[in-house]
Amino acid sequence: MPIITTHNLSKVYNPDTVPVHALRDVNLEFEEGEFTTVRGPSGSGKTTLLNMIGGLDIPTEGHVEIAGTRITGMKESKLIEFRLNNIGFVFQAYNLIPVFTAYENVTFIMLLQKRSKQEMKERAHELLSAMGLKDKLDSRPKELSGGEQQRVAVARALASRPKFILADEPTANLDTDSAMNLLDMMEKMNREENVTFIFSTHDQRVIDRARRVITMVDGAIDKDERKSPPS
Amino acid sequence: MKMLLSIAWRNIWRHPGRSGVLIGSIVAGLWAGIMVSSWGNGLIDQRMNNVINEELTHAQIHHPEFLTEREPRMFIEPFDEITSFLESDSRVKSFSPRTLLDGMVQSSATTSGARIIGIDKNRERETTIFHQNLVQGEYLSDDVRHPVFIGEKLQNKLNVEIGERIVLTFQNLENEITSGAFIVSGIFRTGQTIYDEQTVYVKNEDLGELIADQPVYHEIAMMLHDSELSDQIVSDLNREFNNISAETWLELSPEMRYMTQFSGTYMVYIMIVILFALAFGILNTMTMAIFERTKELGMLMAIGMNKVRIFVMIMLESVMLTLTGAAFGMFVGYLTVNYFNKNGLDLTAVGGDSFEIWGYGALVYPYVTPQEYFYVTLLVIATAMLAAVYPALKALKLVPGEVVRD
Ligand SMILES: Nc1ncnc2c1ncn2[C@@H]1O[C@H](COP(=O)(O)OP(=O)(O)OP(=O)(O)O)[C@@H](O)[C@H]1O
Ligand SMILES: [Mg+2]
Repeated sequence: MPIITTHNLSKVYNPDTVPVHALRDVNLEFEEGEFTTVRGPSGSGKTTLLNMIGGLDIPTEGHVEIAGTRITGMKESKLIEFRLNNIGFVFQAYNLIPVFTAYENVTFIMLLQKRSKQEMKERAHELLSAMGLKDKLDSRPKELSGGEQQRVAVARALASRPKFILADEPTANLDTDSAMNLLDMMEKMNREENVTFIFSTHDQRVIDRARRVITMVDGAIDKDERKSPPS
Repeated sequence: MKMLLSIAWRNIWRHPGRSGVLIGSIVAGLWAGIMVSSWGNGLIDQRMNNVINEELTHAQIHHPEFLTEREPRMFIEPFDEITSFLESDSRVKSFSPRTLLDGMVQSSATTSGARIIGIDKNRERETTIFHQNLVQGEYLSDDVRHPVFIGEKLQNKLNVEIGERIVLTFQNLENEITSGAFIVSGIFRTGQTIYDEQTVYVKNEDLGELIADQPVYHEIAMMLHDSELSDQIVSDLNREFNNISAETWLELSPEMRYMTQFSGTYMVYIMIVILFALAFGILNTMTMAIFERTKELGMLMAIGMNKVRIFVMIMLESVMLTLTGAAFGMFVGYLTVNYFNKNGLDLTAVGGDSFEIWGYGALVYPYVTPQEYFYVTLLVIATAMLAAVYPALKALKLVPGEVVRD
């Protein structure tokens, strides 16, 4: 069974004034363990699509199912709870709580989930080490580079043990090295722990690393290509 | 919860300058509020003690109708039994029987209305501190026949000196006009203009001779070892004796009643006014804090922080910010109040003689009760929460999907 299904998803912004068709009848399925990128020109609807899948915005038509649960139309408080326990988020910027250290940012989400102290501690250490941030546990976001901040965000997203991670242009603010490094980390988690990643990007080198590439044009799916898994 | 406290506390210090200014104004506001209130408390206490110690005392006994009718024939009976009761009661520190008459005082210069109080000099001295108001001459000299002790204002009005003669006129027990000559033996000043212009003290045996051939008493004023005992002793006396009415200082003086009620509430009003002004500062600071953090709040909602937690986090931030200022303000206020409570606060420079006219001394010993600090703390917390409700509700209206877009 796919972990994400979108059914005839459409989104119209400002329907009463100047309607903007940000999504047009999008039908997609995502399987567990995918490493998928959504590409397309600016304004093609990448962010809108990811926000719909992540339950951050409400579609005008159609609905989204996650692991058999229909999240469209869910009560807001239930939806927040659902996001907390099922979806990991990495945004382009403003991912972290500025007054918390890297370590606190990662444990924060597990505190929201009411996990045990022991588990939080172990998992935060494990994930931050895996992200190459062993020495930065006590650094605040402004003491970290952009790449390091994004790695903390990925660690935070992984910490909640979500069904999949949505990353909207996670490398947009990073230089090439940091971007490739972040991709390495994501790929590693995908390979070793079978974590599902769906990320959007403009960057061709990032697109090249994905195993499935969805191309959007003007709110619609233009192409959906799969590369054969590396042997 | 610990986590929310921690975020909220650290968020306060993201803008140390902005938070500092607000905290500073809260410190100043609370300090000022505490100073005004403590001074008011001190003033009220001073006034109450003055009134009690100078004349009112803790409790008084009268003929049941004397206070309304003030007829000379309404004297206290059985006097001897009542005094021996008081003598043997361990709660009573001292008591002073008084003869009270309304009449006229006359000198060669003029005539004036007078409240005549007949006392036993020694008993009155043990019971009240009225003798401390002496400014000239002698309280009630034993060397003079029929001495009289009058107020300074009355002295000026009558234009008399120590040793000169004045005539008091009043009704005797049969309501016949009677008068007697008295020699001015001393002058007092209480500071209360009306009192100093109307009151004369004489020996009660001198009055007794003139109105009934024997001493009669209209009032017995008593000081107790503790003012809290006044309710008890008054009800005991009223149960024991049928022909009299005993009342506590609180029952006797409407002014005292008003003051005790007032002192309990006015600090609250002062603080409400001050906190109302501070609330705008809090509202402003919290609104800015929320406004500049919309992306962060959107992110928090996106990753799964529910609205209750977000609301609580913002409330905590406002309350902790405000309480920090309030705690400092109350501490500084406490130290200042303590200092002046020991040394007295003299506002003559500000108020001049105006205090005396109203019967207040210029030197006040301010204080604040622990209960008042407690109420102020509650008010501060309530203000901080009310002021943060609007920004917090705004924060809850954020749509994460829109906020997190780059
Ligand atoms: N809140 C909104 N109100 C009105 N129009 C919106 C809103 N959000 C997005 N749009 C429009 O919807 C369309 C799709 O926007 P979206 O952000 O999904 O594109 P995108 O592919 O993520 O672009 P980019 O690469 O620039 O991030 C755009 O035309 C955009 O202007
Ligand atoms: Mg976008």
